[in-house]
Amino acid sequence: MASVIRSIGGWFRRFTGPKEPELSEEESERLSALFRERYHSFRVLLTANGRALETMATMEQAYAGIQPYGMDFVISNATTAAVRVYRMIQHLDALAPGKYTGLFERFDEIRGELDTVIHPQPKIIDAPLVLPLAAIGRHDSPVVGAKMANLGEIHNALGLEVPPGFVITAAAYGRLLDHNNLRPEIHRLIQSVEIDRPDALFALSSQLQQLITSAEIPSDVREAVDGALSALRGEFDSEIGFAVRSSAFGEDSAETSFAGLYDSQLNVHPDNLLAAFVETAASKYTPQAMVYRRHHGLRNEDTEMAVGCMAMIDARAGGVAYTSDPQDAVDSRIHISAALGLAKTVVDGRFEVDLFITDRPPLNVVHREIAHKTTAFALRPGAGITRREIEAELADRPALDDRQVLAIARAALDLETHFGAPQDVEWAVTAARQLVVLQARPMHWAQVPAPVPNIEGEPLVSGGVCVSPGAAGGRVSWVHSDREALKVPKNAVLVIDYPDPRWAALLDRAAAVVSEHGGIAGHLATVAREFGVPAIFGMGNLEALRRGEEVTVDADGLAIHQGLIPEIGQVRRRRNLMEGSPIRGILETALTHIAPLTLLDPNATEFRPTNVRTLHDITRFCHEKAVAEMFAFGSEHKFPRYAAKQLHHNVPMQWWVLNLDDGFTEDIKGKYVHLNEINCGPMHALWDGMVAIPWDGPPAMSGSGLASVLFEATRNPALSTPFKKPYAQRNYFMVSKNFMNLQSRFGFHFSTVEALAGERDDENYLVFSLKGGAADMERRSARARFVADILADKGFRLKVIEDTVAARASALPQEVVLAMVKVIGYLLMHTRQLDMIMGDQRSIDLYRSKLENDIASLNRK
Amino acid sequence: MGRGVKIMAISVLLVDDEVGFVESLAKRLTIRQFEVSQAYDAETALAMLAENPKIDVVLLDVKMPGTDGLTAIKTMKRRHPLVEVILLSGYANLETSVGGMALGAFDYLLKPVRIDELVYKVEDAHHRKTLQENKIRSLRGESSTDSNEQET
Repeated sequence: MASVIRSIGGWFRRFTGPKEPELSEEESERLSALFRERYHSFRVLLTANGRALETMATMEQAYAGIQPYGMDFVISNATTAAVRVYRMIQHLDALAPGKYTGLFERFDEIRGELDTVIHPQPKIIDAPLVLPLAAIGRHDSPVVGAKMANLGEIHNALGLEVPPGFVITAAAYGRLLDHNNLRPEIHRLIQSVEIDRPDALFALSSQLQQLITSAEIPSDVREAVDGALSALRGEFDSEIGFAVRSSAFGEDSAETSFAGLYDSQLNVHPDNLLAAFVETAASKYTPQAMVYRRHHGLRNEDTEMAVGCMAMIDARAGGVAYTSDPQDAVDSRIHISAALGLAKTVVDGRFEVDLFITDRPPLNVVHREIAHKTTAFALRPGAGITRREIEAELADRPALDDRQVLAIARAALDLETHFGAPQDVEWAVTAARQLVVLQARPMHWAQVPAPVPNIEGEPLVSGGVCVSPGAAGGRVSWVHSDREALKVPKNAVLVIDYPDPRWAALLDRAAAVVSEHGGIAGHLATVAREFGVPAIFGMGNLEALRRGEEVTVDADGLAIHQGLIPEIGQVRRRRNLMEGSPIRGILETALTHIAPLTLLDPNATEFRPTNVRTLHDITRFCHEKAVAEMFAFGSEHKFPRYAAKQLHHNVPMQWWVLNLDDGFTEDIKGKYVHLNEINCGPMHALWDGMVAIPWDGPPAMSGSGLASVLFEATRNPALSTPFKKPYAQRNYFMVSKNFMNLQSRFGFHFSTVEALAGERDDENYLVFSLKGGAADMERRSARARFVADILADKGFRLKVIEDTVAARASALPQEVVLAMVKVIGYLLMHTRQLDMIMGDQRSIDLYRSKLENDIASLNRK
Repeated sequence: MGRGVKIMAISVLLVDDEVGFVESLAKRLTIRQFEVSQAYDAETALAMLAENPKIDVVLLDVKMPGTDGLTAIKTMKRRHPLVEVILLSGYANLETSVGGMALGAFDYLLKPVRIDELVYKVEDAHHRKTLQENKIRSLRGESSTDSNEQET
């Protein structure tokens, strides 16, 4: 900063002598036009700078926060940042043609690296189009998806019964997309939509699904599937139906469950198998799946779809087994939910089912809850499944006898041991009493919730079962249909009658979920736990909850209270589901090319285009150089209208003012300009701040303070000359009506103030930096921190590096910026030489109160 | 106060093959006092530019069937160097965006566009056009005026 000011001063002194050449009218016009054009370039550069910094801040905030975002966020922000930085380079080049061309090359290199980070090529799956279940194991999940890989493993490694079948692999899915050239269109559609809005999400989802369901099936896929079908048919007497299930890579892992988010189709006729495959493939883009991926930072490309085709089991009983209590990770008893007929009855979460609990080996059944079972799912002959009423005499009979319960528990424990984690197992028991494992995946728990305080008064509704712990408040939002789903506001308390998995798409905007029916097993329950959304299911009639009413849901207390109870509120922050996710990783790497500032000191010789390493470096470089170029141009051209004038003022300071455009009220012909001839909002605000409260002079120095100053002065030649004239001041202003840039030296301090306070709120900004001082580095740094402290609650973003404090505020209305400029003016005047008292805590505290009081009174005047 | 000066509206040409997008944007700009014309492909746009010298700013979509935006902007800048072009795109792509800027685009915006930001950009683009026109005039020895002012 020091050398910049010296050189600015040099130019000014050279060109503001008494002899001013006479210019013709035309020459005057030409130079005016030139000035205005340069000023326009300068302004565009400044605006692009502000917006580039905003984009960078947006990316950094997203990275640091817990709100989920998708690849579209990363790509569009990285692109926007790059475009804005490129504009800055273009306009710096307009101000100083050819002088900084190294920048274009460096930008290109950085952009190239960013490109590879944010557009990584999707993996090409080179694998068979169809694989039989007997041939796969755990490590095949990139090709067959986690669900099928696990199932293959369960059979081949553990010897447990699984349904016979095969997998249509991710390679086949890739073929489907490529044969129809769908990838670019999918990418384009996803890019162009803000999926945070439910209506946009639903529309996009149906477009994407439509694309896939109307795609033509390539002949090689068709042939492969036909071949697998023939091989299977040989093993069975009658025509078998198939369960067609999604199996995506990343589904059913320890981190993500994708519970019930992709469609399963049951009892599909072999003739319809390919159609079912296409439909299941399309379910990759249901609203709930897209929200889910977004929350977990998964790219669409990372979740390639495989589709499992498994022979239907004609189940006498079916259900789910957990090797630990789903609500309590500490309780390691085995929980088995069972229904008559297909396992779907349990998995759906809608119906009354039996619950059995066993302890660990030696196994015993320790708890039985037999439900009054009225409904079951069964195979419909030919194709599909059907709901049937259960005969009255069977309704209360246990779906399983104890021997079967223990067999299921044993199998579940074997799975737990093999996979090394508690398991969520879907099972069926055949007419021949054979146990078949349909699916197994790791269990998910919610966090341990913070304790919830006792609440006075009767709740509106109580009962049900806590499906996901915690407590939260919001407005009641009943959802019966997709149409109503579109209207759910943020932080609503979702009220539903059945825990249908499709409402999982709404969980990111829900404060809590309550349901009339349902229990702890079930897809929506699993996802609610994963997202950390408090949920109570099976509460019975919820008519008492009126739409729009504010309520607080206390899931642990199984109660819904009227009104918002602040003590409960949002007791627990949602888990940061993005952590460790692929997209967050990409954002992190992208940020390394964008955000860090490596070029710190404009005066260092390293401050050169070849040394810029990030986009932020480029913005810093362009801004510094643009300011310097504007000062230089004004002084180089002997042009009275725009040449620098000295401010006519009665203090031993020198103020030089350069008019950029419309900063003076009229043409100033002479050497001096008066304050009332200056037409610059920010400058007047700064000035007002500086003179509002008289400066009492430098603070009384303690002996050690003075000794420090003397020591520094002898050590540092740059300080020794001004020490002889302690109040030597040099201040250079560039002004226009709404813009001001001040490069200033007050004694040993260097500061820059730049402000734009115009009609466009989101282009307005104020930056301020202060550096230096006469005392040692420790005190100077303390002063920088002191100033940062004072500014901390006044709307600035602050950075302190050693003895430099930098403050920035942006996108504010004109009056607010001007009020803040006034505060800066005050600080400029009143923080002079404060570094000298920084060793003395009492003085620091005194000064802090004085400054804070003064600042408070400033904008009252 | 002072002589009445009628400010003429800034004239904007919208070019995009998505008819719905063009219609809706045209409405929003018209409400904000812009004079709006529309074209759904590059050829029509070039023809309109040739016929109407009053067009100040072109909002040009990058991905169009037939002649795409990046090809069109080359021709536009060659034939009508003073007309400012702002590129709009539904795809964020680092290479094309910077490429478009290098071809002389005033700016490159991603859809969906925020209407206030778009309005500022159009105004800034128009301002630049005015400055360039004035510069040319002053080089020719004419007096400079704000090209959209007419004294009444």
